[in-house]
Amino acid sequence: MTTTPAAAPTNLRRVPLAKRFLTFTWLTVGLAIAILVFYTFVQPSIVVDTLVTGGMWALLAAGLALVFGVMNIPNFAHGEFFMIGSLTAFFVFSPLQDAMFNDPAGTGLLKIVAPFPGMIAALIVGFAVGAVLEVILFRPLRKRSRDQWVMNTFLLTAGVSVVLINGDRLIFGNDFRGATRYWDVRPISILGTSVSVDRIAVFVIAMVTILLFSAFLLRTRTGRAMRAVAQDEAGAQMAGISLNRIFVLTMGLSCALAALAGASLLWLYPSYPDVGLQPLYLAWYVVILAGLGNVQGAIVGAFIVSLIQTLTVTYVGLDWIDVVPTLFIILILLFKPSGLFGSEVKGVWEQ
Amino acid sequence: MLKLTAVEAGYDLLQVLWGVDLHVEEGEFVAILGPNGAGKTTTLRSIAGFVPPIHGSVTFRGKELRGTLPHQVSRIGIGYVSESLNLFPSMSVYENLLVGAYTVKDKSAVAATMDTVFELFPRLLERKDQLAGTLSGGERKMLAIGRGLMPRPSLLLVDEPSLGLAPIPTLATFEALKTLRERGMTILLVEQNVNTTLRIVDRAYVLEQGRVVLEGTGDELLGNTHVQEAYLGI
Amino acid sequence: MATVIEETTPSRVEAKSAARRRMTFAAVLIAIAVALPLIPPFNGQDYQRLLVTGALMAAYAVAFDFTAGYIDIVNFGFAAFVGIGAYTSGLLAVDLGISPWIGMVCGALVSGFVGLLTGMLTLRLRGIYAAVMAWFVGLALMGVVRNLPDITRGSLGLSVPLLLNTSDNLPYYYLVLGILLLTLVVLMAVIRSRIGLAFRAIGQNLAAAKASGINPTRFLVINFTLSCAFAGLLGGFYAHYYGILTPDLLATSHTVEVLAVAYIGGRGTLWGPAVIAFPLMVVTGLLQAQLASLPGLELVLYGLLLILVMVFRPTGFAGLVTSAANRIWRPRTDAAETAAPTA
Repeated sequence: MTTTPAAAPTNLRRVPLAKRFLTFTWLTVGLAIAILVFYTFVQPSIVVDTLVTGGMWALLAAGLALVFGVMNIPNFAHGEFFMIGSLTAFFVFSPLQDAMFNDPAGTGLLKIVAPFPGMIAALIVGFAVGAVLEVILFRPLRKRSRDQWVMNTFLLTAGVSVVLINGDRLIFGNDFRGATRYWDVRPISILGTSVSVDRIAVFVIAMVTILLFSAFLLRTRTGRAMRAVAQDEAGAQMAGISLNRIFVLTMGLSCALAALAGASLLWLYPSYPDVGLQPLYLAWYVVILAGLGNVQGAIVGAFIVSLIQTLTVTYVGLDWIDVVPTLFIILILLFKPSGLFGSEVKGVWEQ
Repeated sequence: MLKLTAVEAGYDLLQVLWGVDLHVEEGEFVAILGPNGAGKTTTLRSIAGFVPPIHGSVTFRGKELRGTLPHQVSRIGIGYVSESLNLFPSMSVYENLLVGAYTVKDKSAVAATMDTVFELFPRLLERKDQLAGTLSGGERKMLAIGRGLMPRPSLLLVDEPSLGLAPIPTLATFEALKTLRERGMTILLVEQNVNTTLRIVDRAYVLEQGRVVLEGTGDELLGNTHVQEAYLGI
Repeated sequence: MATVIEETTPSRVEAKSAARRRMTFAAVLIAIAVALPLIPPFNGQDYQRLLVTGALMAAYAVAFDFTAGYIDIVNFGFAAFVGIGAYTSGLLAVDLGISPWIGMVCGALVSGFVGLLTGMLTLRLRGIYAAVMAWFVGLALMGVVRNLPDITRGSLGLSVPLLLNTSDNLPYYYLVLGILLLTLVVLMAVIRSRIGLAFRAIGQNLAAAKASGINPTRFLVINFTLSCAFAGLLGGFYAHYYGILTPDLLATSHTVEVLAVAYIGGRGTLWGPAVIAFPLMVVTGLLQAQLASLPGLELVLYGLLLILVMVFRPTGFAGLVTSAANRIWRPRTDAAETAAPTA
C-alpha cells in the first residue's frame, strides 16, 4: 500500500488533452459521432433511426447495468420485463383505443393522452414484479450462500426467464397483442425524412426518463445510497443503509425501466411470449460494450449499438441486424472485456 | 454504555473469539491491543453486526445487539470505521460524507456536522470535490472517520487508524481522536501501535488468542512487565 | 459451488463396498433403461419416442455438465454446437450423399473444431464473461445458419435422410442409449484420469491450480473441445432421427433447457443429469401431449425446478440421492465423525 501523501492525488488535468482523447474509448465514441455528423448531411434517416432506437436501448441497458452494478446480478430475464411492459400496456391501451374508435368525434384529449396510462401501468407492474423477484428469489439465495454469486444468479435468472416466457404463453397463449399506432397523426418531417409521431414520442419518453433517472441517481438521497451500495456494500451498511431495501428498489427500478421500454414500443413490438429476446440481446450488447455495471456508459453505448444496427440494415441487410452487432461485441469481449468505459467489476481476467 | 460478555465469534469453520469480556463507559476512550490474529478486528466487527456472535452477548445501553444487522447498529448510534475504510471510491469527499449522513433527515443538522468534520480535518475541505479513490492514505483515514461521525454516533469504533500510515499522518489521526474524546465522544479503538495508544487512552484491554488477558489504565499497562516484554520490546 | 461429492472413506474395505454399491446402482439403472421400452405402457411408439428424447437430453446434459460442473465454465452456446453437428451431418448427407453414420462423426469433428477455436478465444475469460461470450458466439452461429438459406435453407428447414431404414422408435432408442453410455463412459474416464484431476483443480481454485504448475487454458480448451465434439455427435443423431433441421435448434432457449436438466440433476456428477433427464422428459412430454390446451406448462415446470435448485438445493437430484445413500449405508457413524468438518 503506497501512502506517500504527496504522490497519491492523481491530477487528471496534467495529462495532455490530446493524449486523454487518443484512447480507444474516445476514438470509438468520436468515430460514432463523426459518422452521425456525416450522415446528417448525406442520409439523415440513418441519424434519425439511430437516435430513436438508441433511446429505447438506453432505457433497457441502463436498467440492466444498474442491477449488475448494485446487486451483481447479470439479469438474463431482463427482456421478459420488456414483455411484461408491452403486455400491460396492451391491456390498458386497447379499451381506450376501442373507445376512440367508437366515438371518433368527441375524444380530442383522449387521443393525446391515451397511450400514457398503459406506460404508467407498465412502470408499476414492472417495478412490482422486479421487487417480488428480489424478495422471493435473490434474498433467500443471498442468505444461503454468496459463493459464485454472479454465475448462480445468471443461471437463476435464466430459470426466471423460462418461467416468465412460458407463463405468459400458458396464460395468454401465443397470440400477438399490439397496437398499430399510438398517435394517429401525420408523420413529421425532420432533416428531410418523415418520422412518425410515435417514433418521436418514444425518443422523447426515453430521453426524459433517462434524465429523471440520472438525476435520481446523482442528486437524491436514495439514488446516492444505491451508488454507495454499488461501490462498497459494507461501507453503505456502516452509514445505516439497509441493503435489503436498496436491493428491492434497484431490482424494481431496473425492471420498471425495461417495462416502460416495452410499453412505449407496443406499436413496433406487439406483445408475445418471447418478444423480449431481441431486446435482451441488445441490452446485453450495450452493457458489454460499455462495461458491466456502468450505467452512464450504458446510455452512451446504447446509441453506438443502435448506430451499428442501423448501418447494418442499410448496408448489409435486415436479416443481419443482430448478427453484425454480435460479431462486433465478440470482438469487444476479446480485446476489451472491461468495456469502453471501464467496468466496476473485478475478476474480468482471473488472476 | 457498551458491554461484551463472554463473546465467541468467528468465520465459517474458524472461531476467533473465545469469550471476550469488556466494557466501555460513557465518555471513555478505550483501546483494544494485541498481536495480529488475536481477534481485535473480529471484536469490533461483532459489535458492528458484521460477524454475529455465536455465544455471549453484546449490549449497548442495556439493549442486546445480537442479531442486529450492521445498518441497524449504525442507526442506534454506533459509528464504525473499519480497517479497510470501505469508502466509496467513485464518489467525491463531499458525497462520501453525505452518504454517511444517510440516516439524518434534518438538512441543517447534516450541514452542521459536516462543518465540524471539516474543522477537525481541514484537509478534507481542501479535497471536498476530489474523488475518494484518488486521496492519499492519510486523507482516506480522515474521510473514513469523518464519514463515521456524520450520523452523530454516541460511540465510535475505530479499527487500526495507524495501519499503513507514515508517522506524521498517524500522529494527526491520533490527535483528531484525542480532540473528539475531549468533546465528549466515546471511542473504542483497536491498535497495534501500543506505545502511542497507551499514552492517549483512558483504559485498554490486551487481547491474545481470542481472550482478554490484561486490562488496565494506560499507565498501568505501560508499567506492566508482560506488556513491556511482548509489545514495547523493553 | 462445484464441489464434487467425494465419500470420505475410513477404510479400504468400506471404499471397496462403496464402489461395488455404485457399480450395482449403475447396472440396475442401465438394466431399467434397456428393459423399459419393452414393458407396458412404455412399449408403445409414443412412449418410446419420449424415451428417445429422454436419452438424447440425458446425453446433452452429460456433455454440458462436463464443462459446467468440472471447469466451471457455463457454455451458453451449447445448443449452437449441437446445431453445427446437426447441420454438418445433414448437409453432408443431402449435398454429397455421405452416409449419416460417417456424417455424425464428421459433425462431431466439426463441432469439436469450432469448439476448439471458440475455446481458445473464450477461455481467457472467466465466469460470467466466458458464459456471455459463448452465448454470443452461439447467437452469431444461429444468425449465420438462418441467413444463409442457399446452403441451409434457413427457416424453411432442411430435410435430412434418416439414420435407419425404419420409422420404428425402438432401434433409435437403443442407438441413442448406446451413444449416451459412450458419452458417459468416455467423459467419466477423462474425469478419473490425470486430466480430470486438473479440471477439478482448475474448477475449484484457479490460482492454486496455476501455482501447482497446471496450464489452465490448455485444460480448459481440452475440456471445452471435448464437450462440443459430443454435442456435435448428438446433433448428428438429432438430425437423422427427426429428419428436419431448422435454425431454432441453435437457439439459446435450448441451451437453457439442457442447462436446467444438468443443474436439476446435480452439477459436477455427470450421472445426476443423465438419470434425471429420463423422468423429466417423459413427464414433460406426457404433459405436453395431455394438456395441449396449456402450452408452455412443461417449460414453466422446468424453469421452476431450476429456480428451486439454484436457490435451495445447489447439489440437485444427485445430492439428494447421495445424502439418502449415506443415511442408509452409514447409520453407524459416530457423533464425532459427523461433527468433523466434511464440507
